[in-house]
Amino acid sequence: MATGPLRFATPHIEELPTTHTRQAPGFAWVAVSGAQDDSSKNWGTANRKRARAQGGGQTEAQKEAITARQQREIERKIKELNSDNSKDVQIPLPKREGTGGGASRAGKTSNTKKILASGKTFAHYLDDEEAEIARTGRRDGDLEVQMPAAQPRPSKTPLARRKTLGEDGSSTGGTPIPQSLNARRSMDHSSRPSTPGASRLDEQNEDQQDIPTLPTDAELDVLLKAPPLTYNQARSAPPPSNAPPPRRFCEVCGFFGRAKCMKCGAMTCSVLCKDTHDEHRCLKFYA
Amino acid sequence: MARKGASKGADAAPARLASRTLVLDNGAHTIKAGFSPLTTDSEPHADAECHVVANCIARSQRDKRTYIGPELLEECWDFGELAFRRPVEKGFVVNWEGEQAIWERTLLDKRSPLQCDPHEMNLILTEAPNGPSVLQRNMDEMVFEEFEFASYYRTISPVLNAYVPPPFPSTPALPSGTAAECLLVVDVGHSHTTTTPLHHGRPLHAACRRLEIGGKTLTNRLKEVLSRTVEVQKEDWIVQEIKEDVCFISQSFSSDLERVWKGGLKDPRDVDTSIVVDYVLPDYEAIKRGFSRPHDTKVSRKDRALGLHGGPREHIVTIANERFTVPELLFTPSDIGMQQEGVAGTILQSIYSLPQGLWQPFLANILVVGGSSKFPGFLERLRSEMESRVSEEYLVRVAQAEDPLKNVWAGGARLARSKDALSPLVVTRQEYLEHGDVWTRRKFAGKV
Ligand SMILES: [Zn+2]
Ligand SMILES: [Zn+2]
Repeated sequence: MATGPLRFATPHIEELPTTHTRQAPGFAWVAVSGAQDDSSKNWGTANRKRARAQGGGQTEAQKEAITARQQREIERKIKELNSDNSKDVQIPLPKREGTGGGASRAGKTSNTKKILASGKTFAHYLDDEEAEIARTGRRDGDLEVQMPAAQPRPSKTPLARRKTLGEDGSSTGGTPIPQSLNARRSMDHSSRPSTPGASRLDEQNEDQQDIPTLPTDAELDVLLKAPPLTYNQARSAPPPSNAPPPRRFCEVCGFFGRAKCMKCGAMTCSVLCKDTHDEHRCLKFYA
Repeated sequence: MARKGASKGADAAPARLASRTLVLDNGAHTIKAGFSPLTTDSEPHADAECHVVANCIARSQRDKRTYIGPELLEECWDFGELAFRRPVEKGFVVNWEGEQAIWERTLLDKRSPLQCDPHEMNLILTEAPNGPSVLQRNMDEMVFEEFEFASYYRTISPVLNAYVPPPFPSTPALPSGTAAECLLVVDVGHSHTTTTPLHHGRPLHAACRRLEIGGKTLTNRLKEVLSRTVEVQKEDWIVQEIKEDVCFISQSFSSDLERVWKGGLKDPRDVDTSIVVDYVLPDYEAIKRGFSRPHDTKVSRKDRALGLHGGPREHIVTIANERFTVPELLFTPSDIGMQQEGVAGTILQSIYSLPQGLWQPFLANILVVGGSSKFPGFLERLRSEMESRVSEEYLVRVAQAEDPLKNVWAGGARLARSKDALSPLVVTRQEYLEHGDVWTRRKFAGKV
């Protein structure tokens, strides 16, 4: 870091000690102590007293409210960042000129009429499908496609990183792979060892007993016939619990956040940015 | 669900396939489309044969005009304050009213280079993986009942990449219509990033994953952070161009971030000027397109805007850490609090959910496609993260398609050249009218 410890004039702020910096190839984590949203663990007693002394003291309940509010705010922001259309703008289609397509925009058949008139959003379709799964245990009943059963992945491997999510009635979480395949895999040593990296594997793993072999055709067939995951099941899982905590950034300039505003929880990097924050941006919400 | 009421078009055609195929990669941001003949005599040339069409309806606040699909790039000259409506939401066609208008302007209008008669055309159409099945049904119904294509193959877009010869060294030649044996496709698209393991072109469904960061997330994020210093909330188009022009993936995030730290907006300290740039915004009079140049510390933004610095009046925005903190979200979604792993972690979630015997072949055949993978440094960073996260006994190979934007189309065009490969995949309009929508979905799901 280019500067020494920061000193802040305002009682509403304190510097959080940087607990560790881990260098890894390509990137580095700079972690501020404590999880991002657990403000209750971030304050030393002295500071808590000081905060209370300022008359703006927060009860535990108030702090929790702030945390929940921050979480909601994060979710709202992500949703906004992933929105497809320009904000607050309705763009109607212009009246059609006499161009090529003879079709009327209303649709040629009763099916397409319905589709073209539909005002449903993606969220509606997703909710409909989740509701169908909850009701019938299957999706697209006509197709006789069984829902892939959510099963925990094999966890013995040292490379396992994925935290298996619990099943809660919805199709969220879980990374199903056919159970039968798991069971049989480790017993099978007969199939061809012809992968690009197979020779390297052999050289470096004399002591490894269970050299992975390619699945048999029958096993592959099971994998290939498995139905697609639902939209929610396919979502990338969170980082494993031993991953470095999320980085926080100065909300004024984008540098690493080094101090947390006690009023709103926003991070800033320096006195200058903190001043800007206080002047223009602080949400200033108190219960 | 009988289709009795559907009008009959070209149902007298005796052959299963028409002589030409329209390959249409229906992306959320752009449609990639072009024709392919039913002959292996030539290789597809994506540069010339694949047309890129904006998949949106845009409304200009300035000339009060509405631009539909291809009109945006052909007829619009002022991209300031353009508002967008996109029929594809989260990667899936949701609003068919809008998509129909765009397809008609693209496929049926005589001004379009893609004008064709669907009755004499096979269609290869892409969809995003893991979509609700009702949306698949809607798509099938629109293709056969509204546009009346002669025959049709619907597939998730990653699949078509398997038909392009992979860019890995020492891979055997791939004849038209043949799919690579093992390929893990990382598609960094506008809506999201998907990872799809393919075995001879068939997806291993249980291992497909989706990271919910894509090109639009990054454009929206850049808009948000640039708005700290300049008002660009209404400038979707311009901010997207800024993103394409100046953003890059950092190979060393914290040191790059420190190199451009000012300790506050007013801190006079010098920063590393190899990263900081001034972006000159277009005014659509003298400056038709924005561009960047090295940061000039001597003239203030205000003076430039007023023309007080002795040069032409120009509006600039100085861009520093935003150049790499924004696309960094692809690798570190937790930077905005998103509870998902980045590209590398998501790839590994895909691979590690497969039987261990398949880890090596997929780790050694990771193919990166999609327009949002084009940031400088993307491939390097992905390689180094993969290598640092995967145990050393595995060989990790990551390569990028020669043209990441058009690779899906190129794969479709190669598939379309092989009659033998394409024929068993399609559903003809006649079959659809006879067997109905459920049968059609079963067919595309590989159940018929
Ligand atoms: Zn700052
Ligand atoms: Zn604050």
